[in-house]
Formats: sequence, C-alpha cells, structure tokens
Amino acid sequence: MSTVTTSTGEAIVRIKGLKKSFGSLDVLKGVDLEIHKGEVVVILGPSGSGKSTLLRCVNRLEEATGGEIWFEDSEITDHKTDINKMREHIGMVFQQFNLFPHLTVTGNVMLAQRKVLGRAKDEAKRIAVEQLERVGLGDKVDNYPAQLSGGQQQRVAIARALAMDPHLMLFDEATSALDPELVRGVLDVMSELAEAGMTMIVVTHEMGFAREAAHRVVFMDDGVIVEEGTPEEVFDNPQNERTKDFLGHIS
Amino acid sequence: MDAFLQWWETFPITRLFLSFEVMSKALPIILKAFPVSIAFGVFSFVFGIPLGLGLAFMKMSRSRLVRWPATFYVDVVRGTPLFLQILIVYFGLTLLPFYRDMVVANIWMKQPFFLGIDFTVWLRGLFVLSFNSSAYMAEIFRAGIQSIPRGQMEAARSLGMTVPQSMFYVIIPQTIRRILPTLMSEFILLFKDTALLAAVGVAEMTLRAREITATLYNQSSYILAAAFYLLITIPLGRFVAGLENHLAESEGGGAQNQREPLVPEPVDAQHVIPHTKPMPKNYYR
Repeated sequence: MSTVTTSTGEAIVRIKGLKKSFGSLDVLKGVDLEIHKGEVVVILGPSGSGKSTLLRCVNRLEEATGGEIWFEDSEITDHKTDINKMREHIGMVFQQFNLFPHLTVTGNVMLAQRKVLGRAKDEAKRIAVEQLERVGLGDKVDNYPAQLSGGQQQRVAIARALAMDPHLMLFDEATSALDPELVRGVLDVMSELAEAGMTMIVVTHEMGFAREAAHRVVFMDDGVIVEEGTPEEVFDNPQNERTKDFLGHIS
Repeated sequence: MDAFLQWWETFPITRLFLSFEVMSKALPIILKAFPVSIAFGVFSFVFGIPLGLGLAFMKMSRSRLVRWPATFYVDVVRGTPLFLQILIVYFGLTLLPFYRDMVVANIWMKQPFFLGIDFTVWLRGLFVLSFNSSAYMAEIFRAGIQSIPRGQMEAARSLGMTVPQSMFYVIIPQTIRRILPTLMSEFILLFKDTALLAAVGVAEMTLRAREITATLYNQSSYILAAAFYLLITIPLGRFVAGLENHLAESEGGGAQNQREPLVPEPVDAQHVIPHTKPMPKNYYR
C-alpha cells in the first residue's frame, strides 16, 4: 500500500500557513499541509517540533494564532464555524487514552453517540458493542477502564472515536504511554483502520508503523515541515539534514 | 446506688461538670433542642450546595467581571468570623424596611413554624449559615473540578460534546466522588457552627444548655450538649475517614486510569499549559 503517493482522493483537510504560539513561544511557524480522503499521513519529528500542536489545531483543541485550517467545506479556524459539529466528524485518540473512568467500557463508547448524535439507547449500544468487537474487546464490554490494561484502554478509546462515524481520525502519540508489549495490539488496530480506508493523521514515534501503513510521511522540526514524501523517500533517501540527523538517531 | 451518687457529688469537678442530677434534668430539654441543631446544619448545608456550585463556576469564569465578585465574596466570607456574620445578618436584616414590611404583612412568620421556632428565625439563621458554607463549598467544588485531568474535558470536547454537556456527563460525576469526603467534613464543621446561633437566641442545644447552666450554676448541661454534638460528629468523621481510605485504595485518591503505571507527562514544548494540581488536604480551612 505504500506504493500509493499522495492523492487517493479529494482534499479533506487543508492547512494553510498555520501559526500557533503560546505566549512568546512560537510552536508552529507557518505549516502548509493537505490531507486527502483515505490517506494515512504520519507526522514525525523530535519533541517540541510542534507535531501534537498541529494535530490539536485540526479539531481546535488549540486555537491557531494565524493561518487557516479547512475541514471538508468548513473553515475550522473561523469562529463562526460550529466546532462541535465539526468534531462529530473528527475522531481523536490521545496519548493518555482519556477514557471516562466513571463509565463502563460500553458507557464510554455510548455517551457521545447518545448526547451528540442523539442516537437511541439500543442503537448506541449495538454500535458500541460492534466497535468494541472490532478492536478485539468484545469480552470487556461491562468492565470499567481501570480494570483494563493500557493497550486495551487505548483500543476502547479508538472504538469510542469510531462509533461517531468519523471522516477523519487524529492519533496523538497513541502508543507512547504504553508498555512495549502492549503497543502491538494498538498498532494492529490502527493498521486495520488504515487498510479499511480511514483518513488518518498520525503523530507517532513508531517508525515501523510509519513505514508500513503511511501513504505519506511528514517530517517536522522547529515548527515547520522540513520534508515530506512517501515512506521510502523519507526513510531511505532523506534530503534534509535535520531529517537525516533525526532518523540516524532513531535507528 | 444513692450512696454512690452522694459520693460522686462530693468532688467539685464531678459535681460542677458531671452531675448526674443536673444532667437528668437537662436531658429532656437538650433532647428537644437536638433536632433544631440538626435541622439548621442539614438545611443550610443543602441550600449551600447550589450556592457554592454557582460561586465555583463564577470563580472559574474567563470573564473578570464574573470572576471578581465571586472571589471577593468568598474572600470576605472566609476572612471574617462567622459569629460576626451572624450578628450582622440576624440584627441587620430586621433594620431593613422591606424586611420589616414583609414580616408585618405576614404575621404567620412570627409564629412557631417548625420545631417550635419562628419562621423569621429559620430564615435569618439559614440565610447566614448557608451563605457562609457556600463560600467554603465554592472552594471545594472549584478545587475538585480543577483536579480532574484536563484530558477528560478534551476527550469529551473532541467527541463533539459542548462545554455544559462535558461538565454534566463527564467532569461533575467524577468530581462528586472525589470531593465527597471533603464535603462531609464541611458538614461536620457547619453542624458544630450552629452553636453560634445561641448568641442571637436561637433555641438550639447550646442556648438551652446555657440557660440550664445559668439557672443551676452548674456546667453539666454543657457536657451533655457536647455529647450530643459528638453523637453526630464522631460517626460521621469515622465514615469520612473510611470513605477516604476506600477512594485512596480503589483509585489512588482520584479517578485516573491507575492499573497501568502512571506515565509522566512529556516535557514537550507544546505542553506548556500548566496541569492542575490535586486538591490539597484540608485546604479549605
């Protein structure tokens, strides 16, 4: 699948000149990026390069300080846009899982379906169980998050996002908080999702996943995109010094 | 038996503080005032909860115009003696024309209303106690809400939930679990503080005990009243301690995902937003 280059479809996310600063700290210094329908884009880069901030700007968990982000036909960065409506279609998976500890696994997956999409209880439950089975947790539906391993919790978080029928999934270092032996299960779910044609933006340090699943790899450093291309281009023949340096350190 | 009682009364300490004779006389009077103390404690606690929650949200508002009055109110109430507040409200309200007109127009307010006590006395007593405890509760609620990891709000918002939805379905349920012990400690404090109402003539336990003491020149009724306060505060205090232990055992004092070893937050530059600190113990008093 890594033979495909960029355009597998129309652009679903368009980022133009995105800037973000926290006080006097400039984290994003003008990022341009287009994500196409069905595309899996992996964002790599050293800590502090702005990868997570970029991802969090896409569903406006962080307010951009400059530039534009378009999602489908709406401008995310425009304050007149109903961001809750946009977020219904943008799933996000966090490094720390952020499951709701007071609800069961099924309750976690049902909550937003009921309150945001207004689905009936039975329907929400059916979809929740369906999604939990999809991530391999069909036997844990009645457990509480604290009774699950980190890897299982993260898969619940993925199911919770998928139950909303997202058009785009954002993964913010989804495996970074996991013990090494638990990473595999989560990556498998993400790979399956990629193969199923989900549009995904993935911030990760898992080079293996980037190589196998990504259509395009974007390398960021110091708030800008310094290199992008197919996994082969970026991994086997990096052009930029910083990319070479970073990949050299990793392997 | 009589010999023992006579011997018991020969020592000044036992006679003045632990006289069975005086206590048996005081018992029915204190017993009648016991529900009054409980009612003032419970009702002002119940009224204080929504007031405190409102203040807590005001204090967390982004708008200075909303935040500032709540902060001022909480500072003033927590920074002045409850005794003074009782004196000011209890006698101050009666000086206000609209209050006088209201009482004149509603004669029933001056009649015994509940447990033999006038409506105006309930009104003023509950007013000052519930507004006082709301200031303390505001801090408990605020600290509790802010102790929930910000990721919870982010996860809820990322699913398309609005801020009120996220608060109501995700943050508040977790907060309640966390602050329950602290809130119950607040009730214990409030219940003991009802004794201050004796100063303005509310017929609760402490006032009744003082009347008996003044009549009989004997302190034993105070000791008896103290026993009745302990009847509530000790079991409740034990219960709070048990609850704290239970929460600490089951969830490490909170509600975060504890089964996995806690991973420290990355020190990436993008994580410059400060994380909220957990609520310090006994922070509120």
